[in-house]
Amino acid sequence: MPNLNIEAKKANTYDAIVIGSGVSGGWAAKELTEKGLKVLMLERGKKLHHVADYEYAMKAPWEKKYNGQLTREQKERSPKLARDYPYNEMTANYWFRDQDSMYVEKKRFDWYRPDIVGGKSIMWGRQCYRFSDIDFEANAKDGIAVDWPIRYKDIEPWYSYVEKFAGISGEALGLPQLPDSEFLPPMDMFFIEKEVRKRLEKNFPGRNMTIGRVANLSKAGEAQLGVGRGPCMYRNQCSYGCPFGAYFSTQSSTLPAAASTGNLTLRPDSIVREIVYDPETRKATGVSVIDSQTMEEREFFSKIVFVCASTVASTAILMNSVSDRFPKGLGNDSGELGHNLMDHHFRAGARGNWEGDLDRYYYGRRANGIYIPRYRNIGDDKRDYLRGFGFQGGGSRQGWERNVAELSFGKDLKDALTEPGEWTMGFGGFGETLPYHDNQMSLDKDNPDKWGIPVVVFDAEFRENERLMREDMKNDAAEMLESSGLKNVKTFDNESYPGTAIHEMGTARMGRDSKTSVLNKHNQVHAAKNVFVTDGACMTSVACVNPSLTFMALTARAADFAVEEMKKQNL
Amino acid sequence: MMKRRQAVERISLILGGALSPQLTAALMGQVINQGGSIQITEAQEALLAEVADVIIPTTDTPGAKAAGAEQFIIRVLRDCYELKDQETFYTGLAKIDEASQKAHGKAFVDLSPEQKIEIMTDATKTNKAFFKQMKQFTQVGYFTSEIGATQALEYLPVPGKFEGDAPLQPGQKAWAISR
Repeated sequence: MPNLNIEAKKANTYDAIVIGSGVSGGWAAKELTEKGLKVLMLERGKKLHHVADYEYAMKAPWEKKYNGQLTREQKERSPKLARDYPYNEMTANYWFRDQDSMYVEKKRFDWYRPDIVGGKSIMWGRQCYRFSDIDFEANAKDGIAVDWPIRYKDIEPWYSYVEKFAGISGEALGLPQLPDSEFLPPMDMFFIEKEVRKRLEKNFPGRNMTIGRVANLSKAGEAQLGVGRGPCMYRNQCSYGCPFGAYFSTQSSTLPAAASTGNLTLRPDSIVREIVYDPETRKATGVSVIDSQTMEEREFFSKIVFVCASTVASTAILMNSVSDRFPKGLGNDSGELGHNLMDHHFRAGARGNWEGDLDRYYYGRRANGIYIPRYRNIGDDKRDYLRGFGFQGGGSRQGWERNVAELSFGKDLKDALTEPGEWTMGFGGFGETLPYHDNQMSLDKDNPDKWGIPVVVFDAEFRENERLMREDMKNDAAEMLESSGLKNVKTFDNESYPGTAIHEMGTARMGRDSKTSVLNKHNQVHAAKNVFVTDGACMTSVACVNPSLTFMALTARAADFAVEEMKKQNL
Repeated sequence: MMKRRQAVERISLILGGALSPQLTAALMGQVINQGGSIQITEAQEALLAEVADVIIPTTDTPGAKAAGAEQFIIRVLRDCYELKDQETFYTGLAKIDEASQKAHGKAFVDLSPEQKIEIMTDATKTNKAFFKQMKQFTQVGYFTSEIGATQALEYLPVPGKFEGDAPLQPGQKAWAISR
């Protein structure tokens, strides 16, 4: 019998376990397998085969049953997801059943949980921007939270490394607050955007409007063609899954790279209950897993564990990994685990209409918008709040969806709608939020979910700093549009709750001191050196730019470090 | 597709032919709650198609009825809307027929084209909430239908490139997929 156990353990033993298969998990699996490690990638969601399982990718409008709307049944099974657009007819099967693990909101938090291999890399917005030293130095300069243990120079080569593989389309600007990436050709701007850009350059020196930096292949290079990807077809239906592999996702990019090494085992339907810690070696020995379908439990073993389950899920796993050594959760000597929960706040800005130029139109559907990098609290600019925001948005001509003369019908209505409408343009801010210690998540130990795992409790809110910033988002957007010649400019503030931007970050922050942070500068858990957390949970502050590119770079960097440490017998 | 009457007959058979008048009426599509959805009659369906066709008529391209826009409306209401919202909508629809009977002593579907326009014009004032919702439904149902998207609009499933500034050609229609 003992021999059998040893054999069984051997069959369940890998060099590395990667928890999660999204943007970060995919990168961890790619890097570790390419460096020769036998890797087990665990994903709690179901299988989603590249192309074949993208059910709506090639459907014509008339093949959608509800033009994108959710059915009552879909709303009932995921009532929290149903509060916003990412959960819709086309993507409904990619998202989680809230009812299976109904999280608790002391204050509203929109938690967008996927339920598929690939995670949110399938449905993500694909905007990719580098952090700068203005971001990495911000906490230290402002004297809040803790200092980042890294600076731009530490991550710069890793940005380049992941960009060359992922493929980022964009325009170089040479701005200190928004370092340039390794760019594929930029996408074109709409006529109205080019007009507004010209006027902004004249009226607002220091405010730069550029085309969005996006992980869609404006041109496929060798690195991308090598994993079977093709260029963007400009259909703008990315979130359904791309049959051309034209945007970066786990399925299009990191998974084929990892699989081709022969070193990857991917196990869907595998919910990690906890990371198992050995107090003698002071390392994790592996993870315990529940099969989401059969409820069967089993253990897997490895030399290192990469926790890439997404910000909230990664921290929930650490919190649920309780032992005599770590009664408050694995690696939680500092008490910071679960704290400093952040997101971006957005949905405040302005929009307006453009008169004339109705003889100009466009061709194709650009899966991208424009971007105005942060200009507030930079250089000599000083505001009554900390940090800043960037604008995303764009212009186009209205389509048949528009409202024409409210009470019209008949031939006139039909004729009007078969022609393009007016040019319109809008900007919406994406603002940095501060790492408030009190903004936190925890586990409700008395409230087990379908699989017997405690549900997550959210207690976080945006505060005065964010509120003040939103005033600038509205007013700045309006003044830029008005000065550029837009008419009927109106500001909007459609409210934004933590989680809504799906840029949730923090809760297991990196830092220089194990007394005030969970991870060190290599994304290593201070007190369990073979456990690495490289997704959004690790973030010490959030800047105002979309974060996924930074997760990619940090993950590749940490994977490189981990393998070097293994070679040195340190892990 | 099985006609409703045949379906009812089949159910009668299964139940041994002893249907209560209420249940028969229900199965024939009177307003009842069945799993949160109103089952509508063939007459309601025909009326819906006719009203949609007045909102988006046949011109040089086929209109809402030819495009089957009413099927989209029925489906969305049945599967996506709460029962009370379905009831409100179909009550509003019934008022179109009531107005027709009152003004012309005929069902809406039997009116002349001019009379239909007259009743609908009246509805923009007296049945405004219904009109606005019906117009929105028809607009979406029509322009996302195969006829609407490919004949009334320019359908371009795989553009292959993006140009943000291209001249609008004379007679060029709006893109069927605009975002």
